[in-house]
Amino acid sequence: MALATDETVRDFPEATPMGQPLDWSWLRGTRAEWGMNPVPGRRGLTMMDIATGTYGEILDEPPYRSMAPRGADIAEDTPDMGYILNHKSQVWADNVIELYEEAVARQWSSARDIPWNELQELPSDIEHAMCQLCTVLTEIEMIATDLPAKWMWRMNHHFVEAKMFLATQIMDEARHADVFRKRALANGGGLLLAGSGDESLLRSILEAKTYTQASALLHLLGEGFILDVFRQGEMIAPTHVEKKIFRLSMQDEARHVAYGTMHIRQAISGDPDVAEEIHEALDHGEKFLIEFGTSPVLSSALAMLLGGGSEHIEDKGFPLQAQMATKIFTSYLARCERAGLNRIDRTELPLDLLGIDLSKFDKSGV
Amino acid sequence: MSSRVNQLGFYQDLADLMNSHPEQYETLGEVDFTLGIVMVDDHGADLRVRLSFEELGCSEVSPLSEGTENGCDCWLKGDLPAWEEMFEDITANGLATGRRTINSLTLLGDRIATMGDDPMGVDKFFRFNQTIQQFLDGAAQLVPATA
Repeated sequence: MALATDETVRDFPEATPMGQPLDWSWLRGTRAEWGMNPVPGRRGLTMMDIATGTYGEILDEPPYRSMAPRGADIAEDTPDMGYILNHKSQVWADNVIELYEEAVARQWSSARDIPWNELQELPSDIEHAMCQLCTVLTEIEMIATDLPAKWMWRMNHHFVEAKMFLATQIMDEARHADVFRKRALANGGGLLLAGSGDESLLRSILEAKTYTQASALLHLLGEGFILDVFRQGEMIAPTHVEKKIFRLSMQDEARHVAYGTMHIRQAISGDPDVAEEIHEALDHGEKFLIEFGTSPVLSSALAMLLGGGSEHIEDKGFPLQAQMATKIFTSYLARCERAGLNRIDRTELPLDLLGIDLSKFDKSGV
Repeated sequence: MSSRVNQLGFYQDLADLMNSHPEQYETLGEVDFTLGIVMVDDHGADLRVRLSFEELGCSEVSPLSEGTENGCDCWLKGDLPAWEEMFEDITANGLATGRRTINSLTLLGDRIATMGDDPMGVDKFFRFNQTIQQFLDGAAQLVPATA
């Protein structure tokens, strides 16, 4: 331990002039590593750069359950914070540090980065459909803030980067709720129908019994679905303004899905029995997702947008919607495969109806 | 324009444009992504390009040998006319419109498809999509120089 040697021999006061005791032990040396000298890369000093030595050692089962930072010399009498997620596989993903830095670097502003003044007056049916879609999206986006918030305070602080990443997810989702709310109001329309067919899915995510079940429902199922809706949204957007909204939101959503996919993989790798728990959650979640995805309100709005207006709902809207549904559920099943979950043999999704031909199923899902 | 989209130099021009205006990419944030472009020509003159994006720029434009696509995070494969139509739309409108954005084209996937061996690499296409779109939209600014 390198120390400022002059200070080791000096006598320091044992109390303040007010009589409060002082502890100078931190100056005389601790068990923590000193002199790491991380070197900033071209992107600056990232969390990857400082994950060196014991600071970068993510233990499977950390010995403390406190908010003391990993790598510090932790006092033996540090209080237990009552964390319940104390095993690495319960929260971690191997890509989480990189995703955190990426999230920090790629934040955007719904106020400044969307060219709101370039919105164009749209035909009434398209404007209504866009506003309805924005209403649904505004309603469901905040589940991805509430869910991590429910679990983060139960996560061992040793896994701080996972908590930091989830904090970025919370910010991202707040921005999504914000940008879709703004879009609903910004072009002469407003919010339309809410609460129809959405809430069962949201409730099932929020009420999941374990964080890993919740993550499977949120990141794999829910956010994976929304990622694909954003991909479609960018395709069906009436103007370049909405395109940019969907594209920027899609980037954020893809980070969340990337974390969830790798977390589930890590969770199953750490405890193979967890797979059955996740399957059970997804058995229920898929039913709610079908209910949500086929809700009369969302379906009709999407068909209107995909058809480019009320005149082409049936000849263009519905066929494209069916094509997109095939894409969405193919992506979902492929994502599960990536995460180490074989849903293909278990799912009760109506694969035939969704146009998914298992004999041609591409596990890459792209 | 159409005559150049199957030439390596065209992508180097796009990269130079991006690198000369990093401030336009600052809001989108830094990128760490290697993207392959595979342009299939019926006459056998396929173009394969590796685009390496780092920080706020495109650090490398290089030929991509057939069979080495998996050295990229992911690659986009489509026939030459599909790519030409996309770039023609960009040059005509100043940026990709309608269903000719790279995301929409790959979502439909019938003419240009996203491919990759590493699922997390493929995910990067979505994570950095706006940057890639802005890079491709740069084609609109190359018109005067290439006319």
